[in-house]
Amino acid sequence: MSDEASAAGRRVVVTGLGAVSSLGLGARAVTSAIRAGRSGIGPIGQFDGTGFERSLAGEVRGFHAEMHLRGTDPARWGRSGRFAAAAARMAVTDAGANPAALSAGRTASCFGTTNGESQVLEELTQQWVDDGLAALDPVLAGRGDAGRIAAAVSAELDLSGESVTLGTACAAGNYAIGYGFDLVRTGEADAALCGGADASNRATHAGFHRLGALAADVPRPFDEHRDGIVTAEGAAALLLEPLDTALARGARIYAEVLGYGMTCDARHMTNPDAASIAECIRRAHDHAGIKPGDVDYICAHGTGTKANDSTETAAVREVFTDGPPPISSIKSMLGHTMGAAAGFGALVCCAALSEGFLPPSATLREVDPALGPGLDCVQGRARATRPRIVQNHGFAFGGNNAVTIFGEFTA
Amino acid sequence: MSIVDEQQRPAATSRTVVPVALDTVGVVSAAGVGLGPLADALRRGGADGGQPPATGEAESYPPLTLRPADFPAADLLGTKGLNRLTRAEQLGMAACTLALEPLSDRSGTGVVLGSAVGSSGGVGRFTRDTFVQERPYLVNPSAFPGTLMNAAAGRTAIRHGLTDANATVSGGPLASLHALRFARNTLVAGHARRLLTGGVEELSPQSAWVWYRAGSLAPRVALGEGAAVFALRTVPDGATGVNPLAHVMAVETGFAAGGPLAVARRLTICVRDAIARSGLGAADIAVVAPGAAGRRGWAAVEERALGAALDGPGHRHQLRVQEVLGETHGASVALQVAAVVARWHDPHLDTRGERAALVTSVGPDGSAGCAVLLHPHAGA
Repeated sequence: MSDEASAAGRRVVVTGLGAVSSLGLGARAVTSAIRAGRSGIGPIGQFDGTGFERSLAGEVRGFHAEMHLRGTDPARWGRSGRFAAAAARMAVTDAGANPAALSAGRTASCFGTTNGESQVLEELTQQWVDDGLAALDPVLAGRGDAGRIAAAVSAELDLSGESVTLGTACAAGNYAIGYGFDLVRTGEADAALCGGADASNRATHAGFHRLGALAADVPRPFDEHRDGIVTAEGAAALLLEPLDTALARGARIYAEVLGYGMTCDARHMTNPDAASIAECIRRAHDHAGIKPGDVDYICAHGTGTKANDSTETAAVREVFTDGPPPISSIKSMLGHTMGAAAGFGALVCCAALSEGFLPPSATLREVDPALGPGLDCVQGRARATRPRIVQNHGFAFGGNNAVTIFGEFTA
Repeated sequence: MSIVDEQQRPAATSRTVVPVALDTVGVVSAAGVGLGPLADALRRGGADGGQPPATGEAESYPPLTLRPADFPAADLLGTKGLNRLTRAEQLGMAACTLALEPLSDRSGTGVVLGSAVGSSGGVGRFTRDTFVQERPYLVNPSAFPGTLMNAAAGRTAIRHGLTDANATVSGGPLASLHALRFARNTLVAGHARRLLTGGVEELSPQSAWVWYRAGSLAPRVALGEGAAVFALRTVPDGATGVNPLAHVMAVETGFAAGGPLAVARRLTICVRDAIARSGLGAADIAVVAPGAAGRRGWAAVEERALGAALDGPGHRHQLRVQEVLGETHGASVALQVAAVVARWHDPHLDTRGERAALVTSVGPDGSAGCAVLLHPHAGA
């Protein structure tokens, strides 16, 4: 690290990973499923799928919050909050961190979401439809706030630092990680649990369905015959600590957070913009103090729509003028977990740096030739190789872009 | 004896914060548009409000006193596409537009808005359609983006070409306070040169029924709505041709899971830390704008914390924003900040002796926090 960089604040590392996903519970389950190219996509079970012509989703199965939450009553929180709290608890356990020390320090909880406590809002709406607004359940009525996602994490771990939920749609996980990174780097927080969470719900499924953006079976990012996204749910959590603290307690270090960048397209609510994404990547590189040639792998936003692939690839080509590094999409296996998506990307990036692999685009058959020559999308299964610097993309409706950069930790 | 167990939690980092200049304000509320009507309403102790947003066939308002924002949306935003915007988008965009108006150079500008869920009415109606339409997916596609929490911030960016950091922050009554802290940290970290920062909350039949059925409004408090947005920049970023209306000093937030007393203790710590990190003492706080008065049971929690942190009530001016504008939930802290600025720029008052103001809030989940503002004549 240069003197200039050290003047910018403390070095920040990722020491714990937690996940609640369609590919399993815990970071290890997710990582091994992704390395094997397994799919978490299956029939919708979280809401009544009757009448939908597209009825597959990446749902979390077999999750019993009471088996994971020790510090708070799961019944207090909505499904998104329970996911986040469980993932955060797993990240703390995974880190071998002392929960009492995290609780005693200024530990922040920063989580991103697209739809907040969408199942609570859906249940309230069902009550409205059935019996009128005057029949809303008073207890449920107090549980719809999106901010309860980060609050559930703070309550579970008895954290006293700030508890902030970023509603920056599908880039929100990267916003949360970037913000948590700045908090720890600048000393505003002693540590940060950050990531993203969202629950499956019929409004999101219906919205993408109506836009014609849902895939018939599985999402196939970068494939010539891709036909859309698959809605999904889950939560991913990262424990961020100052390097000094992590070294002092002999923690295993997955990766170092090197920097991040944010831009807004300011052009269209739903169509992404390549120039703005390219600028976001450049800002992330500048913030991390790296050059495009330093990046060994890109964890793509890669939703599975043509618009995403052509825009994302164009943006990458604009920045990586000597040719893009390998780029793949874990949404091929997880589906689109909305506000958790960039959190899962970050988690997998950390595992990739630590274990030495590149995550695959598991469902890819033929790379769309329209995306141009020489695009390495890591087809099929994970590739054993040791990346040193990786880049994680998150883009959203509303034109919100955020890119995080992680590096292999070397003492 | 202090209610704070000093051994329980460590103090915040003791470093003094760098000031952030608050150059302009855009505000729409029950008092009307802008700081002048807000200052008048604060002096009068009440605002009439506008007309409540229209309801559909399946909706009506519960028996609550409503204090809708009084703003000519078409005059502020134009008529083109106006009816496709949710109420939250109209309010947020109007406040951002007003805050941006005096600024000639808009480069390097982003948007950070606090909101509980975005458009409560928009989400409710869209979700309802998935139950009542012939097929669940036969929802209105053009209404889909408006159901996202970040719709107001995103559409504002599109309208004004604001390509820098664009964030939406939730957190119930603290949403705008979190937005303020997020913006402070983001500016100081260098991710943008200027951030339009504040909060927005719409009144809808859906949100009104939620408040009514949960029984969470304090007695005699109306349910309101509105938006307040501030153009914030780091001070060394040089001349903008605008004299700051105030400076945002420390913004501290924290969490306590152990119930109201624990939340009061956390707020006490936040207030002490914020005053210290602003380079001030309790005696410098001349104005207090508390935020919990609109929520049943929480005003006492906030008062207890303030009493402990400020060593008693003292001779401070109390800005009772909820009495005037109603409970505005996710927008409330932004409207409290706007109220402080309105007071400091009220031509009918001489406030030059008021060095600093404290804006506080607590939330039912366990969040607590505050912001310290410095009077423009106090120098930052």
